[in-house]
Amino acid sequence: MAVFCFFRQMFKMKGGISLAIFTKGVHPRGCKELSNRQPIGVCPDPDDVWLSLSQHIGAPAEPVVQAGDRVLRGQLVAKKATGLSANIYAPIAGTVRGIVGHITISGKKREHIWIENDHSDESISAQPLEERTPQAVLSRIEEAGIVGMGGAGFPTAAKLNVRGKADILVVNGAECEPYITCDESILLSYTEELIEGIRLAMIASGATRAVVGIEKNKPKAIRKLSDLLADGEIAVHPLQTRYPQGAEKQLIFGCTGRVVPEGKLPVDAGVVVINVHTALSVYRAIVLGVPCYERIMTVSGKAVERPGNYWVKNGTPLREVANFCGGREDCARIVSGGPMMGEAVFSLKICTSKTTSSLLFLDASESESKVAGPCIGCGRCVQACPMGLSPTFIEEALFAKKYEEAKRYGAPACISCGCCSYVCPAKRFLAQSVKLAKKIIRERNL
Amino acid sequence: MAEIKNYTVASSPHKLDRSSTRRIMLDVLIALIPCIVCGTLYFGFYALLLVLVCTATCFLSEQLYNLVRKKPFTFDFSALVTGVILGLNLPPRAPWYIPVIGGVFAIVIVKMIFGGLGKNFANPAATARVFLLLAYSSVMTKYIGADISGNFGAGLTTDLVTAPTYLGCGTDALRSTFLGAEGYWGNVLQLLFGYTGGSIGETCSLAILAGGIYLTARRVIDWRIPVVYLLTAAVMTLLCFQSAKEILLQLLAGGLLFGAVFMATDYATSPKWRYNRVLYAIGLGVITVLIRRFGSYPEGVSLAILLMNLIVPILDHFILPVRFGALTARGKRQWPIMQWCMRAVCLGMAVVLLVSIPLVGYTEVGTKGGTYSYVTDVSRKLNGEYAFEVAGSAYLSDYDYTQPLAYRVTLDKTGGSVASIQPITQSTKGYVAELAFFVGKTYDEILARTELSTDTQTSATRTNESLRKMILECFAFYDYNFADYKILDYKGGGISKAERQGDLYRFTVEGVADLAEYSYQQPLRYVVTLDRNTGTVRYITTLIESTYGYVLDKPLYLGKTAEQIATMTDETIAADITTGATVTNVAARGMLAECFAAMERLAEGYDG
Repeated sequence: MAVFCFFRQMFKMKGGISLAIFTKGVHPRGCKELSNRQPIGVCPDPDDVWLSLSQHIGAPAEPVVQAGDRVLRGQLVAKKATGLSANIYAPIAGTVRGIVGHITISGKKREHIWIENDHSDESISAQPLEERTPQAVLSRIEEAGIVGMGGAGFPTAAKLNVRGKADILVVNGAECEPYITCDESILLSYTEELIEGIRLAMIASGATRAVVGIEKNKPKAIRKLSDLLADGEIAVHPLQTRYPQGAEKQLIFGCTGRVVPEGKLPVDAGVVVINVHTALSVYRAIVLGVPCYERIMTVSGKAVERPGNYWVKNGTPLREVANFCGGREDCARIVSGGPMMGEAVFSLKICTSKTTSSLLFLDASESESKVAGPCIGCGRCVQACPMGLSPTFIEEALFAKKYEEAKRYGAPACISCGCCSYVCPAKRFLAQSVKLAKKIIRERNL
Repeated sequence: MAEIKNYTVASSPHKLDRSSTRRIMLDVLIALIPCIVCGTLYFGFYALLLVLVCTATCFLSEQLYNLVRKKPFTFDFSALVTGVILGLNLPPRAPWYIPVIGGVFAIVIVKMIFGGLGKNFANPAATARVFLLLAYSSVMTKYIGADISGNFGAGLTTDLVTAPTYLGCGTDALRSTFLGAEGYWGNVLQLLFGYTGGSIGETCSLAILAGGIYLTARRVIDWRIPVVYLLTAAVMTLLCFQSAKEILLQLLAGGLLFGAVFMATDYATSPKWRYNRVLYAIGLGVITVLIRRFGSYPEGVSLAILLMNLIVPILDHFILPVRFGALTARGKRQWPIMQWCMRAVCLGMAVVLLVSIPLVGYTEVGTKGGTYSYVTDVSRKLNGEYAFEVAGSAYLSDYDYTQPLAYRVTLDKTGGSVASIQPITQSTKGYVAELAFFVGKTYDEILARTELSTDTQTSATRTNESLRKMILECFAFYDYNFADYKILDYKGGGISKAERQGDLYRFTVEGVADLAEYSYQQPLRYVVTLDRNTGTVRYITTLIESTYGYVLDKPLYLGKTAEQIATMTDETIAADITTGATVTNVAARGMLAECFAAMERLAEGYDG
């Protein structure tokens, strides 16, 4: 099978630059057809938004507005703190009701800026950027508050600022999680804008080549992008349909054949990775002057009337999205993010952020309520782990409180993809055990 | 819009693979059905009853243990799998208490005491089988032959009619023909269908293969374990038994296939990482064949599985998969050495098999007949060489002892020279043939070599002389049976068939020896090959002559020209012992003369 794939890859290579194939991981059912048929819709502006001050990795942004201030759409409401942080812009025009505590998806209360919509939709935006120097592009990306929109939320300006140490820009269009199709919709609906965004990101990072990695289950997107990129420094690389193909290290390996050393960043392998949606945001910020305050979100699952991809303003309560798309009563679980790594929503009061890529309304047939049985030792978790760990032994070591042993089996390298829990026939909570072992090892500095 | 209320919160992943412990065990049970059916057909209802008793015992003893230990009852089917596998491992006419004792031992001692499902240190079925083999060895080694009509109708007889198995008694245990196939392929076919003595479920290879393919397709078992196990066993068989014929027989006989598919792949007791599994399977193959070849038990599968099971925790602990992007202590990239080694070893074994089977493998060849004094068997090696088994004797006059001799003489593809000679039987006192006289030599060289003395020993010289005759006969055998001649249109006198290949002319010639003493006209028929280039007699093959020993002394004429034969005196021709032989020699002289004349006539016809 591997040999067959190898030859297929060789012949099908269209401008791709790697022959490396990622063979581990799992292959869950895609379920993408639920949401990838319709054109991108627009979710109506909510009456109130709660903007979290930490929609990104790093320090929370510092508010620059106070209760009672009137803000316009596209106006700066929170400024990046020193160090790793990102600006936050108002997604609607209205009045600031205050800086209040509001629950987040993780269950903790965090400071949010509460803006009440006056439905005037007055907006301000920056001038398009004419000067295309790395410095100017980078500062505009930083100013626009763009963060990694695939889910991690790493400030993009900091990521792209590698000072020429990376020669390849990998654009993540793999979208290996089931259900989610927002990247696919961008690839199909905003192709030219995306290519321009990739060019701008290449300027910012100083990369000489770019590879767009797309899983083969999106043939339309591959074809459209390949036709537009017949030659040049941007290449399209079809990837095996396999979860977690879109995980950073696996994606770099699949697209370039390079291996990011353990504990190092992609830039150490000469690569910078950005998401398709991030590239689109870069385009919007520089060419249109629109900062990052809205995003395309997939709403999908069997328990929703109108699944599809929608432009949603940041800070929209999930209840508004659910009402607009018609979340049904038989919904058994609401998931923010993909079904493999996403978090279950415990309250619809939670608001969207820059990194909320999808909202799934799963019915009982799609979501699992499992009871863990004893490990039968089948070793499927070991075969599936894309990082080469031994989840079952890590769990065993964790339960025996042998953390050194858990470290030896590789717990600190876990990327929390959930493949081990997915394949386990005994339905054990392997991913959680490994995550816990990783946390303990980090806390105790073993 | 209805409000969403009854949703649950749980940790990711929210979607799971559809497999489950129970489904896996059910798949194994489904895969075992063909074996159960075949076992019942071949060995009767009593065999089925044994399997059922064993399964029931395993299930009940597990629940009983749970009851005693105040644990919840378990319905994961794993006890049923253990029970069926152990049941299929029993001899077909074991007494009723054997499955009961075995089942309790497998479940309570091997599995539950160590913590139940997934915690057992060794495969319960294999361990119980080994236990029964040691504790009840007389019962456990008594097999009955497979017999669809006989056993199926016979009902609950427990008369132990011990049937031999291939591993115990070799090919004598198998039929000479099976489903129309004779000899070796008949044996293979018989073992493939498992129509032979053995444990209930392990004889029918086809049923096991069907189960194995089902399990592999359902991704229940890792194909690496059975495939590498069989591959290693094949290579080890080749090494230990020195025969390629033995490979298929060893793989199909006994419990190897059943063990490889159903017992070695047991989850709890096989390694977790795929390349550890390869190493584990290699170990299984090596141990199995070593026990079969050198151990005192004819079968080694259960013991090998038991032994390797004990090593599995060590493998799992010390050999880990290389993490993605892992670095060594020095900060260099860590290479997946284990992975490469295992792949290289498997590839190496496959290459060894593919390369060496043609070198040591034999196929049977059809022969046209003829009467030979020394050649007892001939087969063709897979690389095209012809291997002759020759047997004869040498009279060691110094000791007044007739030394039996047997050699395996190999001629090259074209029958032009001797490729190798392997002694099978010869003197143990050192009067052995000087093989260097013959190996690598052509027919003409051997024919011309009449000086055969090795300085010291007369007896060795006698052996050489005998071997020379045997080798010469091998060439004649080759010439008559395998050489490619074109038939010529010639008939006349005693010659019924004339053929030609280059300078060689071959005649089938008939005549009569008048055995006056017995008032009997002995018909003679020889195939004579003449060499026109040298004008000599090259080969003589006997088709018909006396069966009472009044036979032609072939060396008398071989290598002689027409003139030499014509001018031979009667004393030269006369055989020492019997007049009958002398008469045959004289008759043959006339027949040879006729052949020479025919050759000249044919040659002129072609040349002119």
